[in-house]
Amino acid sequence: MTAVSPPINSTTAAAGPITLTLPPIPTMVRVGRLTASSIASLSDMSIDDIDDIKIAVSEMITVLIQSGSRTNITLRFETTSAEFAVEASTPSPANDLGRNDLALAIAVLDAVADEHHVASTDDRIMIRIVKRLAPIPADPSSTTRS
Amino acid sequence: MEEVGKNESIRVLLDDGTVIAEGDIDLAGGPLLDAAITRVENAHPLIIDLAAVEFIDSSGLRSLLAASRRAESRGTRVVLRRPTSGVVRLLTITGTTEQFDVEEASPA
Repeated sequence: MTAVSPPINSTTAAAGPITLTLPPIPTMVRVGRLTASSIASLSDMSIDDIDDIKIAVSEMITVLIQSGSRTNITLRFETTSAEFAVEASTPSPANDLGRNDLALAIAVLDAVADEHHVASTDDRIMIRIVKRLAPIPADPSSTTRS
Repeated sequence: MEEVGKNESIRVLLDDGTVIAEGDIDLAGGPLLDAAITRVENAHPLIIDLAAVEFIDSSGLRSLLAASRRAESRGTRVVLRRPTSGVVRLLTITGTTEQFDVEEASPA
């Protein structure tokens, strides 16, 4: 497992992307979702939204492993002030993406992500999800009195 | 109570014919849960205690659905006992709640 990233901090929503490379084995699903949870927690997301990210990333990694991938899976996390996006990809052919298993995973992504996209070509599979960030309410204590 | 499986994701126990899952039911945890369910598959009904499940995804749900299908073929049902809010939510969003008898669900 290799993490390559510039530092991100909670005061900089538009910090650069973070990438994580995982071997395609079942125990790495947990590693991926816990890492996603940690990164999402830097984005002022609600607990429920972070839980949604954990579920989505778990589904994404699982789909790629079950597609028969034998090469590493790359997760790319990108945060802006408006959204949290995750892209998971592997350079394997999409041998099994038509299975019923995918339908269940897609049903879950439908529920936990605002957008999702699955693309497979002859040599690569990619899944991308987007979670939109709720606007942060103004802090009433910061109101200036005249 | 007998521990019948454990890995980085999950710990599975058997207690008087009830399967107890603790931790995460995912791609790594599902197979251990499957193995435990197989050991008590003739139970009527088959009870799976999910009170200590911290996470479940669709690959974990497939383990439960497979057990449900096998139970139906034997003329019985799978009882999901004390499912956590995460389990209940996954059942709801996948439309699979009716595949199980849900007992003592935690508030969502």
